[in-house]
Amino acid sequence: MAFLSVRDLVVAYGAIQAVRGVTFDVEQGQIVSLIGSNGAGKTTTLRTLSGLLRPVSGTIEFDGTPIQKMPAHEILSRGVAHSPEGRRLFARMSVEENLRLGAYTRKDEAGIAQDMQRVYDLFPVLGERRTNKAGLFSGGEQQMLAIGRALMSRPKLLMLDEPSMGLSPIMTQRIFDTVKELRDEGTTVLLVEQNALVALALSDKAYVIDLGRTTLSGTGAELLADPRVQEAYLGENVGT
Amino acid sequence: MTATATPETPATPAPAPRHTGRFARLLDAAAPRSTVLMIVGGVLTLVGGYLPWATFVLNEGPYPEKATLNFFVDPFGVTGFRLHLVILGLAAIVVAALRRIPARHRIVRGLGIGATVVALINGLWITVEGGGLGAITASEGSIAFGSIAALLGGLVTVLGASAGGLERKPVWTWKLPWWAEWILLVVLFVIVLLLVAAVLTSGGQGGVVNPYAGVVFLSLLAALGGAFAALNASGLLTWVSVVSERHRTFSVIVLLIVALLLPLTSAGTEYWMTVASNIGVYAATAIGLNIVVGLAGLLDLGYVAFLGIGAFVAANLSGAAASHIGIHLPFVLVMIISSVVAGMFGAIVGSPTLRVRGDYLAIVTLAFGEIFVRSAQNNIGGLTGGANAIPNIPAMGVGDFKFSDSIVIGSLRLPSGVLYYFLIVLLVAAVMLVFAHLKYSRLGRAWIAIREDEDAASAMGIRTGPIKILAFLIGAMLAGLAGAFFAHKTAVVAYDSFRFLESVTLLAAVILGGMGTIPGAVLGASILFVLPEKLREFSDYRLLLFGLALVLIMRFRPQGIVPDRHRKAELTDPDVEDVAKEGPGPLPTRVEP
Repeated sequence: MAFLSVRDLVVAYGAIQAVRGVTFDVEQGQIVSLIGSNGAGKTTTLRTLSGLLRPVSGTIEFDGTPIQKMPAHEILSRGVAHSPEGRRLFARMSVEENLRLGAYTRKDEAGIAQDMQRVYDLFPVLGERRTNKAGLFSGGEQQMLAIGRALMSRPKLLMLDEPSMGLSPIMTQRIFDTVKELRDEGTTVLLVEQNALVALALSDKAYVIDLGRTTLSGTGAELLADPRVQEAYLGENVGT
Repeated sequence: MTATATPETPATPAPAPRHTGRFARLLDAAAPRSTVLMIVGGVLTLVGGYLPWATFVLNEGPYPEKATLNFFVDPFGVTGFRLHLVILGLAAIVVAALRRIPARHRIVRGLGIGATVVALINGLWITVEGGGLGAITASEGSIAFGSIAALLGGLVTVLGASAGGLERKPVWTWKLPWWAEWILLVVLFVIVLLLVAAVLTSGGQGGVVNPYAGVVFLSLLAALGGAFAALNASGLLTWVSVVSERHRTFSVIVLLIVALLLPLTSAGTEYWMTVASNIGVYAATAIGLNIVVGLAGLLDLGYVAFLGIGAFVAANLSGAAASHIGIHLPFVLVMIISSVVAGMFGAIVGSPTLRVRGDYLAIVTLAFGEIFVRSAQNNIGGLTGGANAIPNIPAMGVGDFKFSDSIVIGSLRLPSGVLYYFLIVLLVAAVMLVFAHLKYSRLGRAWIAIREDEDAASAMGIRTGPIKILAFLIGAMLAGLAGAFFAHKTAVVAYDSFRFLESVTLLAAVILGGMGTIPGAVLGASILFVLPEKLREFSDYRLLLFGLALVLIMRFRPQGIVPDRHRKAELTDPDVEDVAKEGPGPLPTRVEP
C-alpha cells in the first residue's frame, strides 16, 4: 500500500462535478506532481485531501488510514499539511505569527521553537524579517513563508498548490530547489503545478489530470518525453 | 538620574521641502517665512482669546458667560474656551520660537488645528444663535471680532506649520529610575482623571436649563484634541506609553484606582455617577462586541439583544412586582444566570455562522435583533412587560443596605449611585481582563486567523465552526452581565432600550475606537454615549451631527482612534520601525494571489 493512495475520487460543488475520478499514489520520500490545465480539478483534489471539501465518492488512504471523512484539523494532525493556492498568508500578521499559526495544532513549545528556527535556516530572509508583516513581502518571499508555515505542523506529507504562481523564473527555481531539499530530508511532497516543465523535471512521479480525471502517469522524465504531454502542456516550452 | 535623550530627528530640519498636492503653491510661497507665520498665527489666536466674541446677549442668556461680551481686562482671569485659545496660542508661539524643539512644525500644526476648530465651533454657535454675522462682528455700537481673529490665527498657524515641512515624530528613549517612572505614571493618570472629570462635567448637565452644554463640551473636546495632537507629535505620548508598558501591572492597578476616585472630583454628583455608570454598561458591552467583531471578524448587527436578554432575565429574578417569576435571588447569582442565559442565546444565534458569511451573517444577526425587540414589545411569554416594561426593580443590596444609598465616611459624603459606579468600574475591569487574556491566547489567535482568512485558518487546523460559536457565546455572556447590572441600576427595563439603533451605535463604538483594542472600545463607547447626553439642545440635529462626526472620523482615521497595532513588536524591535512609520494602511493589505 502506498503512503497516500487516492482511488476514484469524485468531488462536486453542488451539481457541478469538478473532480470525476482521480486515482493516484504517492510513495514515501518522493516528490509527486499533479499537472494539468486550468480548471482540470487539481486544486479541488488537494482541498479534498486536506479535508476542506468532502468527496462525493472515492477513497483517500493516508499512512494506512482512510481520511476522506475526517475534518481538516484531524487530517492535519495526522501529518498532512496544505499550502493553499495563492499562498493565503495572514497578510496583516508578522512572519512569526504566521508560523505560529502553522503550528496551531501543536502544543510542544520547545518543538515549535525548534521548527521555527529550522524554517529560518531554510529561508534566511524570513529570519531577518520575522516581525515584519507578511503582506509587505515580495511574491517569492511570501511563497517561502507559505511553505514555512505549512512545515510548522511537522508534516509527513507536504502538499503545495501552485508554488510557482506569479514568480519570476529565478525565484521559481529557488523555491523548487528548496522543495527538493525538503524531499531529501525525508518529507514527502505532493505538488500541484501548471508550470509542467519545471514540475516534471523535479518529480519522481507525476500524473496528468484532465477534465477531472487522471489520464496519464509516469516518472517525471517519462512524461516530459511523452509527445501527448509535450503537445498539450509544454507547448512552446519544448519547441517543435 | 540616568536620563539620556536621543531624538532621532535632527533639531533643525532640512531646508524647506517642495510641497505637492492641492496647496503646493501656497505652501511653497509660505515656506521661507514659516516660523514668522506660526508666531503671527499664535499671536492672533491669543488676541482672539482676549477680544469680545458676541455683540449682544443671546436670547438664551450670555454665552457661555458674561465675559464673552467684554474686552478682557483681567489677563489672568480668563476662563472657558477663551482660556483654551490663550493657552493654545501661547504654546504655539513658544514652540515656534524655540527652534531646538524636534518636530516643532508638527506640534504647532496640532495646536493650530485645535485653535481653528475651537474658534469655528464657538463662532458658528454665536452666529447661529445670534441670528447672523452681526453677532460676531459689529452691531449696535459694539464690536466683537474675537472669533474671526482666533479663526484666522488658527489657520495662519496651520499654514505656517505645514509650510515649514512636517518632521517625523521623534523617538525618545529616556529611562528613569523605576520609582521616578512610577511617580510620573501616577501623576499622569491623576491628570487624566481630572481631564475626564472636566470633559464629563463640561458645560454642565444638558437640556433646557443649560442650553450651552453641548457647545461648551464640543469646544473643550476640540481644545483637548489639539493639545493631544501636539503632545503626540512631540513623541512624548509614545514615550509615556512605552513607560507604562514597562510597568504594565503597576499601570493597570493605578488606572483602576484612579477610575475609582472619580466620585471625589467635580463629577462626584448623583447625575454624573449615573452617566458614568451608563457609559460603563456600554463600555462592557462594546468590549464583548469587540470579541465578536474585532477579534473574530463576525459582523453582528443585533448585538444589543444580548444586553436586553441579560437585563430581562435579571429583572425577572429581581423580585420586582411586575416580574412574571416571583423569585428574588441574590444579585451575584442573578448576574451569573443572566450572563449564562445570554450566552446560550449567543450560541444559538452563532450557529448559523457555520453556514453563512459576511453580508449574509449580518442579515441573520439583524433579524435576530428584530425578533428580540418585537417579542419584548409584545410581551411574548409574559417575561418582558411589553409596552409597560418591568418597572420598580429593587436596587441591589445586602440586608437593609442598598446600592443606591449615598455613603458618608467621616466628613466625606459620596453621592448616591456611587456604589453602582464602583461596581461597574470593577465589572468593566473584569471584562477587560477577560478580553486581554483571550486576545493573546490560543483561542484569540484562532479568532484573528479566522478574521483574516477563514479558509487559510481551517487549513492551519483551526476548527472554525466551534471557535466562531465560542466568540458569539463569550461576547453574549459579557453583554448579559452588563445587562443584569443595567436592570438594577436603572430600575426599569423596557424593550425600547434595545433597538436596532443601539446595536448600530455599539458597532460604531467598536469601529470608531479601533477594532480589537480595549481602550478603543471604551473610548468609542464613552464618546458615543456621552455625545447624545451633551448634545440635547441640538435635539433635532443630534443624529445628523452624530452621523457627520462618524463620517469625518472614518474619512480621516479609518483605523479607529486607538488602532490595533502589534505594539510590542513595534516598540521593541527597531527593524520594524520603517514599516511602522508608514502607519497602518486604511485597508487590509491583501496578499495578491
